Amino acid sequence: MKRKQIAITLGIMCFILAIGIAVQIKTTGHNNSTVAQSLTDDSLRDEVLRWKERYDNAYAELTESEKELTQIRQQASQNDTTSTAKQEQIKANNMLLGTVEVEGPGLQITLEDNAMAAVGLLDPSLVLVHYDDILQVINALNNAGAEAISVNGQRIITTTAITCEGNVIKVNGEKVSSPFVIKAIGSQGALYGALTMPGGYLDILEDYGVIVKTEQVDNLVVEKYNGIISYKYVKNAE
Amino acid sequence: MKIEKKNEIIMAVIICVVSIVLFAVMFMQFKTIEETDITAIENMREAELRTAISEWKGKYEATQEQLDTNMKSIAEYRETIEKNEEASDLIDEDLKESNMLLGKTDVTGEGVVLTLNNTDNYTVTYSHLLELVNELRYAGAEAISINDVRIVMTEIVEVQLRMMVSGQRISAPYVVKAIGNQTYLSSTLSLKDSGFIDRYQASGMDIKLETSRNVKILKYNGEMNIKYMKEVNTES
Repeated sequence: MKRKQIAITLGIMCFILAIGIAVQIKTTGHNNSTVAQSLTDDSLRDEVLRWKERYDNAYAELTESEKELTQIRQQASQNDTTSTAKQEQIKANNMLLGTVEVEGPGLQITLEDNAMAAVGLLDPSLVLVHYDDILQVINALNNAGAEAISVNGQRIITTTAITCEGNVIKVNGEKVSSPFVIKAIGSQGALYGALTMPGGYLDILEDYGVIVKTEQVDNLVVEKYNGIISYKYVKNAE
Repeated sequence: MKIEKKNEIIMAVIICVVSIVLFAVMFMQFKTIEETDITAIENMREAELRTAISEWKGKYEATQEQLDTNMKSIAEYRETIEKNEEASDLIDEDLKESNMLLGKTDVTGEGVVLTLNNTDNYTVTYSHLLELVNELRYAGAEAISINDVRIVMTEIVEVQLRMMVSGQRISAPYVVKAIGNQTYLSSTLSLKDSGFIDRYQASGMDIKLETSRNVKILKYNGEMNIKYMKEVNTES
């Protein structure tokens, strides 16, 4: 009787354990694919790096070629006054388009998330910097006659979009994060006056609890646009 | 009697040892399985990596294309210099291209036309237009105008309840034109919940969207003077 009991108990236990092991072996069977997975991942990672390197090289060459083009255009037009004027116009256009780095007097604004939000003391929807805040500040700067603007090194050009994907703010498709340093070249008085006036956008942001700093800088450098400006759909009329 | 008891003890010990070994094996396997849960993240990574590859590849190709164009221009200029010819044709062409990129020429192309209007319980504000322009740019718009005023940089304000765009006064209805891939533009704006149309139509704004194969956008009419900035000379 006792033997039978022991045998049955043992049998059941073994059975359960065997099933457990069988199930686990089946699950770990996928493990082999994990190895394969990380192998493909590694090769994908390599490929990402390869393309990035190719892009970096091509971009460096492109920057060189742009300089060369400007120089040779200057050289080709030096004997002809109308051509010289047109060549100067192209150079001015490039500054406005954002394809060259520019410097001048202007205003530097820093917008920073209020750290109190992280501790839960203040409402994060108010004290964090949102994408539309940056949009509004840029709009205000443009209205005050800014000639060149950048946000955390990203030049604002005529096709720049500022977006928000989850918690991530993107300018020109590149991630930017707090503190946001917005640089604008233009009349210091006009820019400062328009942005800091009572009831102006910076005033509103500060009231909400965002940390706002403004600084008038005599020699502000605004970075060039980090990409290529070319149109696929737009054609000249006529 | 004694032998039986001894046997029982031995048996118990054996069972005990076997159980411990089995449990140990089981736990080891549990641990392995926990690690395999990372596969989920690894899988996600794979998708991310693939997007990263196509992004860099796209950027590389666009750069390479632009580089080829530049090289061709340089070669053409060099040729005119060597032959001592006039370069004015080449410069004219470059200036025209550069003016087009900046918005100084009238342009055409496929795109969308949106009409926004006030209703009894909803007023279109400058913030709406600002948001719409930004969304159009996100969807790849290459040229935008509001009531035929070209938007180059964003300058949209309300002065004493009057809407001003690029320094010119406009009023409702607001006709917003954009040139770009018409399918992409219209689908981005029409996205459920997150698209501009869905967000504001629900609140009561009157919005109409049309796609067109031939949108015409006028040139920027304002001044584009440079008074404060100058090019940074990277050579020195």
